[in-house]
Amino acid sequence: MAVADVSLQVFAGEIVGLIGPNGAGKSTLFKVIAGIDRPTSGAVEFNGNPIAGKRADRVCRLGVASTHQLVRPFPYMSVLENVMVGAFFGRVPRPHSPRAAREIAFEALQFCGLEGRAGDAARMLTLAGRKRLEIARALATGPVVVLLDEVLAGLNPTETDRTLELMRAIVARGVTIVIVEHNLRAVRGLCSRIAVMAQGRKIADGDPATVLADANVIAAYLGTAPQ
Amino acid sequence: MSRVQVAGPLIAAAALLCAVAVPFAFPHAEYVLDVLFLIFLYGAMSAAWNIIGGFAGQISFGHAAFLGVGAYATMILWGEGWSPWATLPVAGGLAAIFSILVGVPSFRLRGPYFSIATIGIGEATRLVALNWSKLTGGASGLTMAAGPPPQIQYLSALAVCVAAFGISWWIVQSRFGFALAAIKQDTDAAQTLGVDTTLFKTLALALSAALVGIAGSIYAMHYLYVSPDSVFGFSTAIALVIMPIIGGVGTVWGPLIGAVVYTFIREQFAVKLANADLLAFGLLLVAIVLFEPKGIVGAWGSVMARRAFRKRAAGVAARG
Repeated sequence: MAVADVSLQVFAGEIVGLIGPNGAGKSTLFKVIAGIDRPTSGAVEFNGNPIAGKRADRVCRLGVASTHQLVRPFPYMSVLENVMVGAFFGRVPRPHSPRAAREIAFEALQFCGLEGRAGDAARMLTLAGRKRLEIARALATGPVVVLLDEVLAGLNPTETDRTLELMRAIVARGVTIVIVEHNLRAVRGLCSRIAVMAQGRKIADGDPATVLADANVIAAYLGTAPQ
Repeated sequence: MSRVQVAGPLIAAAALLCAVAVPFAFPHAEYVLDVLFLIFLYGAMSAAWNIIGGFAGQISFGHAAFLGVGAYATMILWGEGWSPWATLPVAGGLAAIFSILVGVPSFRLRGPYFSIATIGIGEATRLVALNWSKLTGGASGLTMAAGPPPQIQYLSALAVCVAAFGISWWIVQSRFGFALAAIKQDTDAAQTLGVDTTLFKTLALALSAALVGIAGSIYAMHYLYVSPDSVFGFSTAIALVIMPIIGGVGTVWGPLIGAVVYTFIREQFAVKLANADLLAFGLLLVAIVLFEPKGIVGAWGSVMARRAFRKRAAGVAARG
């Protein structure tokens, strides 16, 4: 069982970090929340409404957006068109006119610093660009909560800092973020709260400094001390 | 506006005017009317298939089922005394409903598995038509003595063709078109972005089936004969797939070009040597798969892009 017994609450305006060693079940938990996988037991509630077992597109339209661990831009669309898909089909109500969707998409690109690449083919972007495209696409859906799955993986320090800036800007705009990450230094500086998973269970939940000093957390990482 | 942007609609409007004028200008050019009729009708069917197969990327080898439902609906009702034109909306509606009934379960399958399921749908429909003799006349099929005059048939085929391509042209710039393209390129990613993929696939299929069903009606009015093999046969289903692929699957005008090529090859080859047209189609398909999967439209695009590249390279060389 990938996720055995996890209870997690997220409040509006937080940046919650979800960390843990590989195989802890973090991405699986994300998939269950996003509606990609179904839970066999338990509940997922969003704003007081149950959403467990709802299909992924329903969950997105309710306001919970997610990004993928392996970035997946639509290969034969431009950068702008990729984001327009999010603009057209995200949290209801959504525009039906291409012009309105284009405006929302362009604004999301500007927010993520990609407006200069709007007309480029999406598959021409570097990894860092593709990751920002994933974020822009998720933002264009007008979400209340965004689940970011290892969005810093594979980025060099400069790109990492830029992405951290972007995430702070996103929360400043009123969008709540839950982030799965392995970069503990980044997570300590960014998150208002950190939850730790290991082997499908939650083993810690609290403010970054306390959690990262917790003996159980350090043990779960098999001796890897926080940087 | 660039020259191309202004020229495009003007050329289309001019071509349409010429097309409408033909039966009035040359009322007795039966052969010309016949060939153009076939091009418009096949073009409409090809464009209809392209909506689900090209735009949405769901390759259907069973579209003959919807064509046949339309054709049979018209022949049956016409035989009961209906005016053939009144049967058109019924034919389209029945084809659409039928497509939804078989489509919703089939869309649980992805990619090649979906395509295999559509082969089954086509075959099953053919067998039903074969055996439900009371309704369909069984193996002998249904005939009518006389149909509308060739000029009227020509104009109706032109009308369906214009409708099919008009709808295709609208789709590519619309929200609906974005959904289909997203589904085609990455169904799972589309789903997490809020696209109800099953709903949009079903809508695309229903629209495609309705158009093909209406084309089937006009087909019936032309040949005055339908039988399980003639409309539900696998060769019909393959023809519906070959045309858009040759022309350029997923493009707006590819299906029309494919219909022209298909009609031309059938007219030229089938007369000279039996089954030579099948050989020609086979060779064309192999060439397309090997060299230019985007068909004739794609090949044209590559040629244009190479010319533009050479021009730019020459300009750089001249300056440097």
